[in-house]
Amino acid sequence: MEQTNLAYDDRPVKFMLYPAILFMVFGMTVGVFLAFNTFLFPDYFSGEYVHFGRVRPTHVGSVTLLWLLSADIGLLYYFVPRLCGIPVWSSKLAFVSIGLWWFSLALGVLSYPWGTNFGWEYAELPNWVAYIPVKYITTIAWVLLAANLFMTIANRKHEKMYVSLWYTMGTLIWTTFTFITGSYAVNWVPEGISRVNVSFFYVHNLVGLIFTPMGLATAYYFLPKLANTPIYSHRLSMIGFWSVAFVYAWVGAHHIMHGPMSQWLQTTAVVFSIWLFIPVWTVVYNIFATLQGHWKSYIQSAPIRFLIMGNIFYLITCIQGPLMALRNINEITSKTDWVIGHSHISLYGTFTFFAIAGIYQAIPVITQKPLWSQRLADWHFNLNLLGSIPFLLALWLGGFWQGMLWATWANGTSFAEFHNNLTLLPFLQTITEMHYFWMLRGIGGVIILFANVLFAINIFNTVVLDPVSETKKKETPEITVVA
Amino acid sequence: MNQKQPEEKPDGNFFHRLDKSAILTVVGIILLFSGSVIVTLIAPRYVDPTWTSPSSSYQVQMYEVSDPNLYISSASGHSSTLQFVYHIKENFTLLLFQESEYSRIVAPDHLKKYITAYNEPVLTLTSKLLLLRSPEKSDHFDAIAAAGQLRTSIVNEWEKNHPKWKEEGTSKPNIQIMELYEPDSHDAFALALTDGMIENWVDHDFRILDETPMQNYHKDSGVIYVRNPSEFRITNIKTGNVNDWVYDPKGEAIQGLDALKSHPAGFHSRAELIAAGEHIYAIEGCWYCHTDQTRTLVQDVMLNGSDSHPAPPSTASEYIYQKITFPGTRRIGPDLSRVGVKRSSRDWHKTHFQFPQTASKGSIMPAFRHFFDDDPRGTSKNTEGIPNYQFEAIFQYLMTKGTRITPPTQAWWLGKDPVGTKEIIEGRGHLNP
Repeated sequence: MEQTNLAYDDRPVKFMLYPAILFMVFGMTVGVFLAFNTFLFPDYFSGEYVHFGRVRPTHVGSVTLLWLLSADIGLLYYFVPRLCGIPVWSSKLAFVSIGLWWFSLALGVLSYPWGTNFGWEYAELPNWVAYIPVKYITTIAWVLLAANLFMTIANRKHEKMYVSLWYTMGTLIWTTFTFITGSYAVNWVPEGISRVNVSFFYVHNLVGLIFTPMGLATAYYFLPKLANTPIYSHRLSMIGFWSVAFVYAWVGAHHIMHGPMSQWLQTTAVVFSIWLFIPVWTVVYNIFATLQGHWKSYIQSAPIRFLIMGNIFYLITCIQGPLMALRNINEITSKTDWVIGHSHISLYGTFTFFAIAGIYQAIPVITQKPLWSQRLADWHFNLNLLGSIPFLLALWLGGFWQGMLWATWANGTSFAEFHNNLTLLPFLQTITEMHYFWMLRGIGGVIILFANVLFAINIFNTVVLDPVSETKKKETPEITVVA
Repeated sequence: MNQKQPEEKPDGNFFHRLDKSAILTVVGIILLFSGSVIVTLIAPRYVDPTWTSPSSSYQVQMYEVSDPNLYISSASGHSSTLQFVYHIKENFTLLLFQESEYSRIVAPDHLKKYITAYNEPVLTLTSKLLLLRSPEKSDHFDAIAAAGQLRTSIVNEWEKNHPKWKEEGTSKPNIQIMELYEPDSHDAFALALTDGMIENWVDHDFRILDETPMQNYHKDSGVIYVRNPSEFRITNIKTGNVNDWVYDPKGEAIQGLDALKSHPAGFHSRAELIAAGEHIYAIEGCWYCHTDQTRTLVQDVMLNGSDSHPAPPSTASEYIYQKITFPGTRRIGPDLSRVGVKRSSRDWHKTHFQFPQTASKGSIMPAFRHFFDDDPRGTSKNTEGIPNYQFEAIFQYLMTKGTRITPPTQAWWLGKDPVGTKEIIEGRGHLNP
């Protein structure tokens, strides 16, 4: 128990983190259901409300918004006050915004199977569910959160702003604009490609300007805490921050390479996508370098393993991302499972791992008890890694393979040859070829789900039970004495 | 609460309390962000006119003229064939009254100029509201007599040209004669031959017999027109306890749009169905598995092409009439941007939506049985359901894809693709910038 804890009000942290963890398990369960019911046993459970098209957004919405974004917000409520040296500006305001947040977002995301999908990727949240304006309420909840944290930062005691605060301020501004762009402004521009362009701007910035800065703020805060060592370079993190600010908003069009989008805009997106290497490598190097001389802690601490593994995944995802934007690579990878693999390694492999690490560090502090079981945490990490490898490899290899199969249609120099290729390999054949990859993906998914059920159990027990280690220490000698 | 000594805080408003570095952060973020927004989101549609301009005047007329005025319903009650009814309006809808070898038109003298005679190369169109009907006798014009005379003269002419018709075993031609008349109203509901997907289009050898162009689109180089309309009349019937109707040329005329759209006729305009189809496409999540873009890649133009011609790549112009556009990020099922040409059979889609694996072996598409109702009478022998409005809507929506890029006279599936896709993929041509 640190003495300073008494100064902070951690109830907002709890109200965000606990439901978020449940929604992670829920969202992953839905994902596993889809992996089996759509791809391995197509349409086994069939019908209007359970088919892939209606359930997929529930999976995506649950893991991105109800889990990851909400967990990241919980962690903001945790470390922003601590970095500022004062409690959150208004606890009451926090409760109001958290209440609105969960009510509207959960209602919105869970309503998709009943046909409320807004129709834009990652912006499926409907304006209305019955008579409840869920999207407007979510927006208000976010603005209240942003106001609360900005006031906390404005009133801070520690004069120097740590890099996590910069990222937090970035997130608060970017998310507000990005969310408004994707959810409202998409209908303010002319119909057609203008809207598509706005939508992909949003799709990319949801990851690039919401999850990335939130995740990095988390990593930059928790790694030094967990490893008990200062960040390697404050300047490097600044370079990373400003290059994120500079580069990310330009790259939306790389989601529609070769598509009906102006060529100059595609080229712009390619150029800026390559520049994404700068923020990524600063972050990756900074995190690795921070742990220099402390690698023993990697062995000892599951959360540090999550952070470092997340960092490795971050490196992979951010090598993939710019390369996928190149026209020739995009020709193969685009529209295949490779893309699904890429979105999972970034939102699951990287930022979910970062958030988990943050939760492992924050939970003992806010509950003022040690983690219920370190061994379970070790298993949580091991199984997550074990599951993610077949899961991600299946998606990448399968996707790349499918892209290569499609590319065989372009072999030759004449229409007759192309047409012959297509006759030899019909589209549906390229779907059948995916079966074993999808099987591997399903197996990986089950392992990941199981791992995170253990996580939920561990956190639940930490909150409600006495720690395992303490119980044993107390009870074992007593029993011996009685015997 | 806080046990530490409170530090000195500068007074003043929010901005005074923010120090320099925080202000720099906020200002910097906003500047960089708005710069990129201006260039990537706002500028493009002013720089690239294809983002907001149509691909052809056929596309414009299909969406703005034809779709809102073509009404669709099941042929009667729960039948699974469709009835198409044109809502034609005076000074708006262009009409063509054209004779063919064995179908002729009689008209009072002042209307004769609106008839395009058999073998006449130039089509005569008008936005005057006229209709065809079986010849009737009225005060000013005895159409029955005129039709009789015309028939006799044609048959005589034919006998002259075929003197040995009896020996050859042929029979006299069956001449169908209709009367052109001027209805009292300013609009009408009319039947005309159509596949409900591609409208009649003329872009050379035509004239519009109006004193001044009545609508802007009448000035276009090509126009959509309705050919040989006759009035749509129905008789209400009862099947069991169900109110139903059948088409009946001697039945009652439809009294206004409300009557056409309400029970039991229940017509929807094609525009309404396309809009509903787009909504269904969104909420059913079709777009998670189907892309809607033919990319500028050989594999895409081949996948979406026909046996003889590649499909042209998608352009921004194709999407300007969609509230939501679904270019898509994943292709688990085939691309749909040319599906209106590749799969134009309604029967195929009926089977496919109910039994995807039957229609496409190896498909992993879910079945959409909620697009179909059970056969109300239970007399149907086949196992298929009766398509409901959801099927009709999604079908009409899908049929817009790839069919409206150019006029049917310059259709890519006839090899008349102005982009020259085939030349480009064979390395003989270049895409215009």
